[in-house]
Amino acid sequence: MNNIKYNIFLYILIGITASMLSSCKKSYETVPLGQQINLSLAFDPKDSLGTEALEFLLNVYNVATPYGYNRLSGNFLDAASDDAISSASGIPDIQKLATGAFSAASPNVDNVWSSYYTAIRSATVFIVYINRVPLAEKLPNGNPARPAYRSEARFLRALMYFELLKRYGGVPLLGDTIRQITDNVQLPRNSFADCVNYIVNECNNITDSLRTQSQVTPSNYGRVTQGAAMALKARVLLYAASPLFNGGNIDPTNPLTGYTSYDINRWKLAADAASSLMSLGTYSLMPKYSDAFITQATPIGSNTEMIFWRQGGSNISVEQNNGPIGYTSAGGNGITSPTQNLVDAFPTDSGKAITDAGSQYDPNNPYNHRDPRLKMTVMYNGFLWLNRPVQTFDGGLDKPGGVIQQTKTSYYLRKFMGSFESVSGSAIYSNTYHDWISFRYAEVMLNFAEATNEFSGPTQDVYNVLYALRNRAGIFSGTANNYGLKQGMSQSEMRVVLQNERRVELAFEEQRFFDIRRWKIASQAYNIPLTGMDIQQATNGQIFYNIIPVLTPVFRDPQMYLYPIPYTEVIMNPNMKQNPSW
Amino acid sequence: MPIALQAQQRIISGIVKDTAGNTLGGASITEKGMVNNAASTGDNGKFKITLKGASNTLIITYLNFKKQEINVQENLKNHEQIEVVLENTTSSLDEVIVVGYGKKKRITNTGSVSTISASEISAVPTSNIQNALSGEMPGFFAQQRSGQPGKDASDYFIRGVSSLNSGGNQPLIIVDDIEYTYDQLAQINVNEIESISILKDASTTAIYGIKGANGVLVVTTRRGVAGKPKFNIRGEAGAQSPVRTPKFLDSYNSAVLVNEANVNDGLTQTFSQNDLNLFKSGTDPYGHPNINWYDAIMKKSSVQANTNLDISGGSQSVKYFISGGAFTQNGGVKNFSDGNDGVNTNYFYKRYNVRSNLDIQVSSTLSLRLDMTARFGDINQPYNQNVISNIYDFTKYHPYSAPFLNPNGSYAYAIDTKSQMPTINAMLATGGYSRQRRSDYNVLVGFNKKLDAITKGLSLIGRVAYAGVVQNTLNLARPYAFPPSYYYNPADGSYHLNTGVSSGGYTLIGYRTIGNTDLDNQRVNAQLYLNYDRTFGVHHFSSLLLWNQESYRDDQAAAVPQKFRGYSFRFGYDYRQKYLIDFNAAYNGSDRFQASSRNGFFPAIGLGWNLAQESIFKKALTAFRIFKLRTSYGIVGSDVAPGNQYLYNQVYNQGAGYSFGQTDQTQGTISEGALSNNNVTWEKAKKFDVGLDMNLANDKISLTVDYFHDERYDQLVTRQDIPEILGIGVAPENVAKTINRGWDGQITYKDNIGKVQYSIGLVWSVAKNKIIYTAEAQPRYPWLAVTGRPINQPFGYKNIGFYSQSDLTNPNVAKPITAIPIQAGDLKYKDLNGDGVIDQNDMGPIGKPNLPNTTIGVPLRLGYKGWSMNVLFQGAYGYSLGLIGTAIEPFQSQFQPIHQKRWTPATAASAEFPRLTSNPTTINSPAAYMSDFWLIDAHYLRLKTLEVSYQLSRKSLPLKINSGRIYFSAYNLVTWSNVTKKYQQDPEVTSNSAGDSYLNQRVVNLGLQVGF
Repeated sequence: MNNIKYNIFLYILIGITASMLSSCKKSYETVPLGQQINLSLAFDPKDSLGTEALEFLLNVYNVATPYGYNRLSGNFLDAASDDAISSASGIPDIQKLATGAFSAASPNVDNVWSSYYTAIRSATVFIVYINRVPLAEKLPNGNPARPAYRSEARFLRALMYFELLKRYGGVPLLGDTIRQITDNVQLPRNSFADCVNYIVNECNNITDSLRTQSQVTPSNYGRVTQGAAMALKARVLLYAASPLFNGGNIDPTNPLTGYTSYDINRWKLAADAASSLMSLGTYSLMPKYSDAFITQATPIGSNTEMIFWRQGGSNISVEQNNGPIGYTSAGGNGITSPTQNLVDAFPTDSGKAITDAGSQYDPNNPYNHRDPRLKMTVMYNGFLWLNRPVQTFDGGLDKPGGVIQQTKTSYYLRKFMGSFESVSGSAIYSNTYHDWISFRYAEVMLNFAEATNEFSGPTQDVYNVLYALRNRAGIFSGTANNYGLKQGMSQSEMRVVLQNERRVELAFEEQRFFDIRRWKIASQAYNIPLTGMDIQQATNGQIFYNIIPVLTPVFRDPQMYLYPIPYTEVIMNPNMKQNPSW
Repeated sequence: MPIALQAQQRIISGIVKDTAGNTLGGASITEKGMVNNAASTGDNGKFKITLKGASNTLIITYLNFKKQEINVQENLKNHEQIEVVLENTTSSLDEVIVVGYGKKKRITNTGSVSTISASEISAVPTSNIQNALSGEMPGFFAQQRSGQPGKDASDYFIRGVSSLNSGGNQPLIIVDDIEYTYDQLAQINVNEIESISILKDASTTAIYGIKGANGVLVVTTRRGVAGKPKFNIRGEAGAQSPVRTPKFLDSYNSAVLVNEANVNDGLTQTFSQNDLNLFKSGTDPYGHPNINWYDAIMKKSSVQANTNLDISGGSQSVKYFISGGAFTQNGGVKNFSDGNDGVNTNYFYKRYNVRSNLDIQVSSTLSLRLDMTARFGDINQPYNQNVISNIYDFTKYHPYSAPFLNPNGSYAYAIDTKSQMPTINAMLATGGYSRQRRSDYNVLVGFNKKLDAITKGLSLIGRVAYAGVVQNTLNLARPYAFPPSYYYNPADGSYHLNTGVSSGGYTLIGYRTIGNTDLDNQRVNAQLYLNYDRTFGVHHFSSLLLWNQESYRDDQAAAVPQKFRGYSFRFGYDYRQKYLIDFNAAYNGSDRFQASSRNGFFPAIGLGWNLAQESIFKKALTAFRIFKLRTSYGIVGSDVAPGNQYLYNQVYNQGAGYSFGQTDQTQGTISEGALSNNNVTWEKAKKFDVGLDMNLANDKISLTVDYFHDERYDQLVTRQDIPEILGIGVAPENVAKTINRGWDGQITYKDNIGKVQYSIGLVWSVAKNKIIYTAEAQPRYPWLAVTGRPINQPFGYKNIGFYSQSDLTNPNVAKPITAIPIQAGDLKYKDLNGDGVIDQNDMGPIGKPNLPNTTIGVPLRLGYKGWSMNVLFQGAYGYSLGLIGTAIEPFQSQFQPIHQKRWTPATAASAEFPRLTSNPTTINSPAAYMSDFWLIDAHYLRLKTLEVSYQLSRKSLPLKINSGRIYFSAYNLVTWSNVTKKYQQDPEVTSNSAGDSYLNQRVVNLGLQVGF
């Protein structure tokens, strides 16, 4: 009797234990909870809206589109050129780029290798998988939108390859393969020529499927357009034709670092590419130079000069990061100190270099009668800003001395800022559009002029570009209507003029740093000390100007013409050849 | 005569003693053949039992003693009352060790196991078991990283480390066959523990399969013994004080060094001669304060107390062990509260433990068990401040920053620092506390059914266990607010409110409570197993077949439950206890891996040969009671995977960050997550062990030695040789391999000289690991590689003295390309690649990992009449301790005596420290230039534990108290270390955390134990 009772009891116990054991079986997870998005959801073959897929494309934009304002630990890339230095104390990273204090193992601050390859992969993932998504959307012209989106990603990928190309020379081209963890990625570098061809082909192939500027609706504002693809092609071909890669290869027989022989026709290709974009008639110079950077493009705004940009929103960050430090209610950190070298590059308002005899330049009143672009690019002592003159004389409000961060050259950056020369009400900044413009029409014109000069010499087309830019800048046309330009210049005279015009027009747009390299003049440009102005104001108000050295850059020729491939990348990949001398 | 006896119910009385003549309390007496007729001895060793059966035989059992059967009549021929002398089985043939899911005889065990009975360490005055085991068990490595009340449990490893995964080296913890976590183990009251084993080799850990690779710590808790209720009460209290207290220079000496650094840096001197004079004379305590913040804030000692009560007893049908404990550990911070708010900002730890272990004999074949335990702990600490770090941190407080209080009683602040914080006492008086409240609950229900009816020796055991943890943090604080503080100017008697970044305004804002849940998780484990153990003549078989399943749910993180399931198998055979073979295996899986490759098979084999049982041997070497060779080999696993729980899935991430379209708002984005690894699987370890167990000279000497060679492979690491052009992160892959080998053992000699019993032992553990492969890219220079080096090998520059003046201009002396020009007296490093430049290419391996590769223990035990003494010396060797930052760097740490031995042109020959500089970016900075100058090749020897006790004689005890014992015990009593020669730091702190972690404590303790 008792035994039976015990046995029943025991069977129940065993049953309970066993059911605890077996009940768990069902709850073994086959698809983990809480981790919802996978490939088939990101590129959903059932979603005709393509919501996730288009968000994926936005991520490609996010990782691939440069945003140059103070992007390198607070500084512009141009603070590593001869146009500016950083005002930060100690030895800021950007300065190490200008003084060569970097190596393959400890890369410089513009270390984009990894992030740009991340962008390239993201783009490829979109390019391959977007075809799974039955996107129903149509462009205004009735064509399906999917090829346009796909081409946007291809543009961004091509842009990344170009950004790598100009820094490192030829880099591995990964094509449309999406590599997995088990795939071999120990790929060799492609030659410089391969990379140029690849980028140009991509641009050619995508142009037709992209939106035109007029097809951009407000909700698509900021997308890659046909103009962008053409502008990228023009720039790539210009770089490919430039001395560093075309005829001046630092390792003459090395196909990774440039072409192994000179071919003048490369200039022709560059000129034609720029010309075909100019002949579209879609883009034109803005009437006012400073408006080119702070107004939005069609269809939202009236800016006709922007070709491709990253939206930065409407804010006061550029003003506060770079503005003079003495405006306490507005706020200003004055991180960027433009150099005297840059200021001296601006001609006078008659278009003549300040060293020219008849230029009207007065060293005791150095900012008078200057190219109006000067006051749209830098602030100098006496410059009206927020209703008061900027004081960059020693001890002035904007250069008080002591340990606080302030200009080291007596100049502050002005470009890209709203028109806060005089404001009504309190002296503070208000929100301004700060889109970072990667491509604008003025650059395409200069590309055209430079390439044409190299191929055909200083033709009238070349002069016309300069006239248009100088006219828009506000330089007096002069009685001869030549904007101070000497007529009948030789090719090399014109080269010097174009290089200077480019420096002035495109200052702080991440052009100069690479221009002096591709022109192969970096060792000259960095061979002179960077200078600033020491300004003393006497008690009677009289002002004395003294040019002082502020930084001696270092450029190891030819090593520093290209960045080193990151050390880890070379040791991880036996096929990865390092650049010369690194 | 026998017939008459059978009918008669006789009362028999007797006494039980050990071989040394000591009476044994708590021994269990059963009448043979009458399982329910039992008694136990009192603390005087005496018992009474009424014989009811016919066998006329008593069975006397006592843990760790040899079971005896006594024929009553035979015994009474020689004695007035029954006298039983039990033979201690420790280190003898019947010694039993706890292994996974059961016990084994030491003599027939083939695996590598170290066991200690908790009674040997119960007197160590520490809150957790981890701290008491170091040096007691071969193969056990422990480092106590902090002395903070409630957070002072040692990190420990079994046979060192062998996995490259952080968190992948933690041993499995099994308490009463249920898995516990590190923190749960630290919560257990030592008084509840019966024994502790560590399982080290494949033969013993294979049964845990996928979780066994790091070794297993097995804890069993105490259970009731049949007999009258036995009450045992223990109370103890003691004082804790830091093992090492920091020595800081006073204001005058600090100011002199500050001035010197100013000169070195080309700055104007901070202090004038007048300042220095005032610092020296101390005549201007408000204008020129001199505060040693350590002395001002910390007490010399603090109180620790521990009280335990347990009751055990029962009949043969119900046995119980019930215990309760309360432990309190106070912190070392003085009380600065104004007494009105009653807010305790000091560190403290309070813990309450209750446990009830019941065994119910339902029938002769079925027994049930019900174990319930709960633990409640509160850990208190000052809200949002690390007091030790603040005291050390020179950037926050200087000895001359501020007076302790202003003359009018208001709080002062560190006016000469960047943060301008109110003084530490002001912060402690008003800052509030952060209190972690933790509750642990465990319930275990089990049954054991003997199935002798099916076949003799078979039994079925089932268990369901639940473990729940809830931990909440309650903060009573004034977040983001500082107390009002003033600068008092003694020149004109004015007060100036602190208006800096740490300004508290004029009034103190009220306290607010902020709470959150830190932990809320539950673990349910179910086990069902068949056990078989039977001897057929000379053949002995034992076998186990186990079904085990576990589910872990984390409700706090709302994470996916983790599931585990496994089957384990054990088969053992021995022939005359001479030739031994064990086969252990587990087949188990974890849902961290793809369904298709979720389960793994982990087999191990163990072989043993008892030479001492061989007849030839017996004759030749009579001295050996045990002489056993054993070896084992097998594969065990570890399912610890770093990062994402599901490495076989590529998960896309959602984010934001791109502004787009007319409205110009940030848009949502989706991006790829790390590439998945479809082949992800568990780590595996091939473990080989060969050992020798020896007892000789009548068990006076016992020896156990093991050599092991473990190969840990398929380790999940992220490959370091995948080029970045892939453009995406990758999941870890099963590629890395390490080996870990060493030897450990224990030798004990015990004897007595007259009535003095003594034993002396040596416990040692050596484990050295090496990375064989870790998918590392081939670096430019061989010394940059981690492959071939120990796990966590530090890398840095090799210090070769100081730069001299002539070095600066000598082009042959390698120098760094550094922003700050080097100066004479800067640390000089070796140019490993000889390129004339000190850079990353010169960073080779320096020193050793932070975990000792050798640890030793010397236990000594002495007994004389009622007196006994237990001593443990513990030492650790073969590791490096990095001291940087707030611990030692000038201008980050308070000035210390070592800074007075800095390099100056005059002392260049004898300098022990580089020139002083306030610039944190020079070559002297370990943050930028880590070098072996900042590492100490450390070792230490400690008088780790000491216990002296006196057993009061029965006669002297009042009332019905059976036993009484008073004892003195101590923990970390004396430390000898090469670290403390140079720096005032405890040698066990984690590298680079000295100056931030709570000081390790020494405890001296007095206690009283009574039983009735």
